[in-house]
Amino acid sequence: MKRSGPLYTLLAGLLLAAVMLSLNATTGTKSSGYGSGGAASVPPPSSPATTGPPPSSAAPPPAASTSPTASAPPAAPGPESVYAGRTDDDTAAVSISVRDKKAVAYYCDGRTRESWLKGNVEDDGSMRLTGSNGATLEATTRNGKVEGEVEVTDRKQEFSAAKAVKPSGLYRATNEVRGAKIDGGWIVLQDGRQVGIFTRDGKPSSAPRIDPATGAVAIDNAWLTARPVTP
Amino acid sequence: MSNVDPNAPTASFPSPASGHGRPGPARYLVPVLVAAAVAVGLGAYGKIHDPAGTAFNLAGFSSTGAVKSWLATAAFAFALVQVVSALGMYGRLPGLRDAPWLPPVHRWSGRIAFLLAVPVAVHCLYGLGFQTFGSRVMWHSLAGCFFFGAFSAKMLLLRSERLPGWLLPVVGGLVFTVLTVIWLTSALWFFRTFGVTT
Repeated sequence: MKRSGPLYTLLAGLLLAAVMLSLNATTGTKSSGYGSGGAASVPPPSSPATTGPPPSSAAPPPAASTSPTASAPPAAPGPESVYAGRTDDDTAAVSISVRDKKAVAYYCDGRTRESWLKGNVEDDGSMRLTGSNGATLEATTRNGKVEGEVEVTDRKQEFSAAKAVKPSGLYRATNEVRGAKIDGGWIVLQDGRQVGIFTRDGKPSSAPRIDPATGAVAIDNAWLTARPVTP
Repeated sequence: MSNVDPNAPTASFPSPASGHGRPGPARYLVPVLVAAAVAVGLGAYGKIHDPAGTAFNLAGFSSTGAVKSWLATAAFAFALVQVVSALGMYGRLPGLRDAPWLPPVHRWSGRIAFLLAVPVAVHCLYGLGFQTFGSRVMWHSLAGCFFFGAFSAKMLLLRSERLPGWLLPVVGGLVFTVLTVIWLTSALWFFRTFGVTT
């Protein structure tokens, strides 16, 4: 006679694991990416940087070129394109993740100024994204690059971002460590350099490097996992 | 010692009954293969898929880490009950050998410990994955995968008849030891690092 109690035990564990996995899969995806809408509040521009006022090109970005030649983002659902680059004055990094006519962008100077922006992408590849505290980003997609202008804390900067493939790209990690809310954003540039900020309870500081392969990053003695950001 | 283990009427020891009945390698092979498949499968899943980061939390707890640490601690407490009740069933605790409540206590504390550990493992594998940075993390990942393999083997071995008397205690001890390693490298580390918080 074989006892089946142990089998039931194993099956119960399996069932529990399956239930939890499906719960995670349904709720986990929602909380990832931009879903939290938690654009960390942009702090005052405590560091006006060194390059003086940004090139306040009065002319709006060449978005006027409504030429349909612009390589529009992929129309097919699913595939995402990630762009990463720096502002023309080289004081900050910008990364944009595009999927299904939606875009999420991250502006970050690696010290105190950052902004998460989101919005829609038009058929011609132009986009106008907005973030909290009036941050805006206007850009067009052309020749596999996204070029335009980003304005964070009343400061306009032109930027150009080229296609980024893993491990370069846009990453974000949010978590709570010892009751402190942690929100980190990273732009991994094509040359491997990283620009990132994490805020702990609203206070921004320069972020430690993430391991681009796994997204692992140590913050406050805890390991967090930064995930690629998708719109 | 010469008594039959009350919780395992199918397993007799020292070994008076090993003469009759063909042992057949399957009753060892199946648990071993299942154990290997479980351990390797968990490790491969944790290694291959993209860790999802944080996933769930429970009301009243400050972080996922706290939830997991307390669940793991509870599981470890029930595992201690496992060891004590097993000692009792094997007659190593004076006066407790024939206590009729020992087998059910052993069975149910084990089930509870297992079911407490499953959510923790799900989150570990789903949210964090199999990681090898740092020796604590590496040993925890290895032991975590190994634990569920060893536990599966223990459960399957319980169904076999006429096992050598030493086998179940050894496998059970192994499961407990591995769980201890897991707890030391996770929950204890968490409590030492962040304080005993909820």
